[in-house]
Amino acid sequence: MDMKSLYLTVPLAPLVGAALAGFTCRVAPRWFSAGVTILGVAISLVASLLVLQDVLAGHTFYGNLYTWATSGNYTFSVGFQIDTLTAMMMCVVTSVSLLVHIYTIGYMSDDDGFRRFFSYISLFTFSMLMLVMSNNFLQLFFGWEAVGLVSYLLIGFYMNRDTAIFANLKAFLVNRVGDFGFILGIGLVLAYFGTLDYKTVFDAAPSLADKTINLVGSAEWSLMTVTCICLFIGAMGKSAQVPLHVWLPDSMEGPTPISALIHAATMVTAGIFMVARCSPLFNLSPTALSFVLIIGATTALFMGFLGMIQNDIKRIVAYSTLSQLGYMTVALGVAAYPIAIFHLMTHAFFKALLFLGAGSVIIGMHHDQDIRNMGGLWKYMPITWITTLIGSLSLIAFPFFSGFYSKDSIIEAVHFSNIPGSGYALFAVTASVFVTTYYTFRSYFIVFHGPERWNDAAHVAAAHAHDDHAHDAQDAHGHDDHGHEEHHHGLQPGDKPHESPWVVTFPLIMLAIPSVIIGYFAIDPMLYGSFFDGVIAVNKGMPVMANMEEEFHGPLAMAIHSIQTVPFWLMMAGIVVTYYFYMVKPSIPDALAKKFSGIYKLMDNKYYFDAFNMAVFAGGARKLGAFLNRFGEATIIDGFFVNGSAKLVGVVAGIVRHFQTGYLYQYAFTMIIGVFALLTLWFFTT
Amino acid sequence: MNPYVLDLITASPEVLVLAMGCLILILDLFVKDPSHTSTFVLTMLTLVGAAILTLFTSTGEVVYAFNGLYVDDLMGDLLKLVLYLTAIVTLFYARPYILQRPDLRRGEFYVLMLFATLGMMVMISANHLLTIYLGIELLSLSVYALVAMNRDSVASTEAAMKYFVLGALASGLLLYGMSMIYGATGTLSIPEISDALVANASNPTILIFGLVFIVSGLAFKLGVVPFHMWVPDVYQGAPTAITMLIGGAPKLAAFAITMRLLVSGLLLLAPDWQGMLLILAVLSLAIGNLAAIPQTNIKRMLAYSTISHMGFVLLGIVVGVVGGDARFALNAYSSSMFYVVSYVMMSVAAFGVIILLSRAGFEADRIDDFKGLNKRSPWFAAVMMMIMFSMAGVPFFIGFFAKFSILQAVVASGQIGLAIYAVLMSLIGAFYYLRIVKVMYFDEPIDESPIVAPMDMRVLLSINGLAIALFGLFPQTIMSLCAFSLLRSL
Amino acid sequence: MEFKLILFYVLSAILVGSSLGVITSRNPVNAAMFLVLSFFTAGAVWMLAQAEFLAIVLILVYVGAVMVLFLFVVMMLDINFDRLRQGFWSYLPLGALIGILMILEMSIVLGGQYFQVLDTPLPPELANSSNTKDLGLLLYTQYTYPDQVAAAILLVAIIAAIILTYRGRKDTKRQVIADQVAVKAADRLRVVKMDAVKPQPAVTAAPESEAGDGAAK
Repeated sequence: MDMKSLYLTVPLAPLVGAALAGFTCRVAPRWFSAGVTILGVAISLVASLLVLQDVLAGHTFYGNLYTWATSGNYTFSVGFQIDTLTAMMMCVVTSVSLLVHIYTIGYMSDDDGFRRFFSYISLFTFSMLMLVMSNNFLQLFFGWEAVGLVSYLLIGFYMNRDTAIFANLKAFLVNRVGDFGFILGIGLVLAYFGTLDYKTVFDAAPSLADKTINLVGSAEWSLMTVTCICLFIGAMGKSAQVPLHVWLPDSMEGPTPISALIHAATMVTAGIFMVARCSPLFNLSPTALSFVLIIGATTALFMGFLGMIQNDIKRIVAYSTLSQLGYMTVALGVAAYPIAIFHLMTHAFFKALLFLGAGSVIIGMHHDQDIRNMGGLWKYMPITWITTLIGSLSLIAFPFFSGFYSKDSIIEAVHFSNIPGSGYALFAVTASVFVTTYYTFRSYFIVFHGPERWNDAAHVAAAHAHDDHAHDAQDAHGHDDHGHEEHHHGLQPGDKPHESPWVVTFPLIMLAIPSVIIGYFAIDPMLYGSFFDGVIAVNKGMPVMANMEEEFHGPLAMAIHSIQTVPFWLMMAGIVVTYYFYMVKPSIPDALAKKFSGIYKLMDNKYYFDAFNMAVFAGGARKLGAFLNRFGEATIIDGFFVNGSAKLVGVVAGIVRHFQTGYLYQYAFTMIIGVFALLTLWFFTT
Repeated sequence: MNPYVLDLITASPEVLVLAMGCLILILDLFVKDPSHTSTFVLTMLTLVGAAILTLFTSTGEVVYAFNGLYVDDLMGDLLKLVLYLTAIVTLFYARPYILQRPDLRRGEFYVLMLFATLGMMVMISANHLLTIYLGIELLSLSVYALVAMNRDSVASTEAAMKYFVLGALASGLLLYGMSMIYGATGTLSIPEISDALVANASNPTILIFGLVFIVSGLAFKLGVVPFHMWVPDVYQGAPTAITMLIGGAPKLAAFAITMRLLVSGLLLLAPDWQGMLLILAVLSLAIGNLAAIPQTNIKRMLAYSTISHMGFVLLGIVVGVVGGDARFALNAYSSSMFYVVSYVMMSVAAFGVIILLSRAGFEADRIDDFKGLNKRSPWFAAVMMMIMFSMAGVPFFIGFFAKFSILQAVVASGQIGLAIYAVLMSLIGAFYYLRIVKVMYFDEPIDESPIVAPMDMRVLLSINGLAIALFGLFPQTIMSLCAFSLLRSL
Repeated sequence: MEFKLILFYVLSAILVGSSLGVITSRNPVNAAMFLVLSFFTAGAVWMLAQAEFLAIVLILVYVGAVMVLFLFVVMMLDINFDRLRQGFWSYLPLGALIGILMILEMSIVLGGQYFQVLDTPLPPELANSSNTKDLGLLLYTQYTYPDQVAAAILLVAIIAAIILTYRGRKDTKRQVIADQVAVKAADRLRVVKMDAVKPQPAVTAAPESEAGDGAAK
């Protein structure tokens, strides 16, 4: 098979699976929907691996497959760019997706939307692959919106649940803000480069590095800075960076498998991928990089704080995702794109693992998500316990685990950087290490160790949790408390949690393996080898990568060396503190919360982002809408356009009816008049 | 080889259709089967054969035959292939309809269809005013007869009568214009007319005079305002199967002769005919879209919609030459050609759905008959919705790209105002298309009877509807075919 | 030369006058006769231009065949032309105005030098050749293609005329043997089930034999 067809197979196989499952979702048996989509994704995975092998052998591809439309001087094509970055993303997306597909069989086994769900996630896989394989901004945007679409569909998957619909709408609206910036950026690229093809744009970028444009008044703005910031606003929406992060925690309303696949491993990293892909542009604007850096650092630290006080097992992982996305963004900000991609990859595995592990716990707890009802689960769910522990260690960057290599590299990279904001970023990422460890192990200890709390207080606690969190209207919407939904969730008195079926545990094991080892093996080629040569542009002004290469003496040395560094001890301190707080003296956290009730309240309300948005944007929009409704709608649209065009139609119809009488001689006469009018007109004008 | 034989080879599609037309006419006498299946099959085979011959005799070059009266070029070949396809599809859709109506269920129906097709082929390949005229007459005469074939229906007879008389008047106008051109240039051959204009050896006043008449004659064939009066009455009065024929393929031929007459022949007069066509286009867009809104008969509504679509086609032709500069011409003309092709695709499909809903003694031609179609047949409601969306220019159906490419050509010529006007008019037009969608999906059905149609028609109609959507996603295929064929022909 | 010119003007005047007569006369037969007259004079004008073949064909075909047929139709159908021409006078002013204006415009255009009557002698090679032969030669060499298309048009006209008017004879006594052979009892005999219980003594179904089409004809 020639390579082009192989490339095409990668996105099309899941698409076919999605179509087959989707169009038969009312009639087909369950095994068909699951089988056909899994087969599609499996084919896609095999093809991706072949492509990766081919790319590693030095065969890259850049070209258009189909000209979609030509408009004036602009040509819009469907094309692929296959290089190491793409091939790596393809493998990550398809492998995680395949495991999530398998996991879903167990997780959704008693759900009515089983077949619909399979169709959606396969469609997602297709969209994500189109996004990463694209060779132009338009196709990127197509994939971008398509993954967004599937994401909205899946957040609102339980469409009978008000909170899910609210979360769904929220994700939609917040992403519109990001997409607005993104499409402005694409528009700027089209306007100034005359094309949307990556290669042409990136080749031409240096010549436009000093170009300035006037946005407001006569102030000169660097074109590159404006373009990059616009593009990055798109990334902020999709990759949930402050202040456009508000949709991601709520997206946990969706079923857990998609939280793992879409809202942790793949889709939310699209923004990171896009910035890395556009590295030749971002390199030209230190201002934009600083902007990226500060946003990322803020997200990494402050979203981590929020994770420390959550009680919903999925929300904890969600906030940790936000924080880790912040880490990746920080790496982008210091122009260490390979490290960002590296962390993206390791994060995809261990975060998917943590989510799926959380899902497994949720299954074991009969869809109760409140960690305060859990405890001592390690006895009942050994595989989930071990794999979650592995994922947690990877997340907190325990030496030799995958997360260690990527995260420590990021901290190191910030250390070497000297662009504006790097000092703040260094503090943020370093402090985050402690925070990360705290929330990760807090959840771990409460869920898997300590007393078994589900027997006695299960339902009381769940009810209490609900009251506790019903602070205000939108917050209640934002919270998901599955114990109070239409099903009666949670363990019955006397029930015991149980280990999940093999379709659930198998993906956990499969994900645990790369979570442990992939960092060790991949760090050298990906960061310091030639893996990304010619794919990700080297920032000549910021020799972060070069400096780091000098310091790097192999993965083993790096792990051993880390014992002498601050992050390692911060992490160890985190483990110790958490152990003390939650295993030895569980009264301390409550006491602290009471003592610092102001901060606790601030964090419990998520820094009032939601309240602010509701009051200012939603409220303002409603007021504007009311005004426009009164003035614009009633007066201009209804009054002038609607009634006006109705009148116009009436008048014209009246005239036409006058002529269209059905009398032959009138028709003939009209024709003669027509000839006569034309004749006279031209007779007198020429 | 004998040059005459070469001519026959070049024109072999026409020869085949003519010979088979005569042959089928005779063979049909011996057909006892009241549904004339064998005649139908033979007609289909003829059209397929003509398509094969057209493909195989196409050289990609411009080839003249019969002393320059006939021309075979890529534009002609492409239009002819679309024509055969349209004719085949039309016949498939028409067949269940005519089988239910004794007056139409005759072998002559197919023969006349073949002769009408022949007439269009002659028009498409015409390189001489005489050939153009004869092609028009052959087409028209066949169509007049077809419209009147349902001879016990007052509406059909009246429609045929109107069409015949007005068509004769239009032919007269066209002929008169041709004679003026002949008087001014001393020739009827299109390339020679062009040469004569270049040599500047003719009287401009007479040329303009002739041009007015020629444009009027063409405008009648295209059905644009103010030469459109026949369109609503004939569309409504003719049996739906014939309306489908009138509303579809002849527009291809009319486009071809417009290109041949005005662009190949009278390009030097472009400022004049562009001005005339501009007036016609602007009027057509307004009258077509506005007058379609109050209609209650869907065939009549589609008639007005055709008028507005033809206005769009003219827009593309109008903006070809800007201030003596023909740089944008190819783009503009190919967008018009693309528009015509996609219009034919949509129009045939729309009438196909009307036929699908009709049955013996019931025409399904009122908009009310579409009420609640979604409850009766969700799939064909979806097909009709796609057709309506496409006609309205909703992205991403083929109709959107057709309108888009025309507008783009208009903008490229610098006439932004004209483009805005066209957009406004199609916005108004969207109203009546969407109303069909609305009644199909949101109203309660009046007519609850099940939809009966043979499987071949169902499949074909589905393919037709899907093609509208599919080519909307991949419009470039047809677009570049149009552009390439025009590039190699003009 | 002078005589020819005078003849031309006289004939043209008759042509225009009789054409006006066609559209103004109230009696359709008169109108038809005016049309015949205008054909004759047009033929004569062509004859003046030495197009004798066309002149003769015009008179033979149009006067001899078409108009005679037309007269038959007019006389047989007894159409009330007055009713058809209702409103003629009320539309006349507008129509006349447009007509006059158009004539004015046309005459200005056609009054140019290109359309003046020029006394161009025939090319010498044509002077002695036969009009008919030349036309024939052209028709079957240069213009074969349009000639064939024209033939197709005529064929279509014939088909059209037949399908629009021919309805098959109603009074034929033609037998269709195949139908007679293929007829089944059920085609002729209809068994009607009736209620056995009736107030009056029940009459058992006494179906009437119905003659099939084939047998009757």
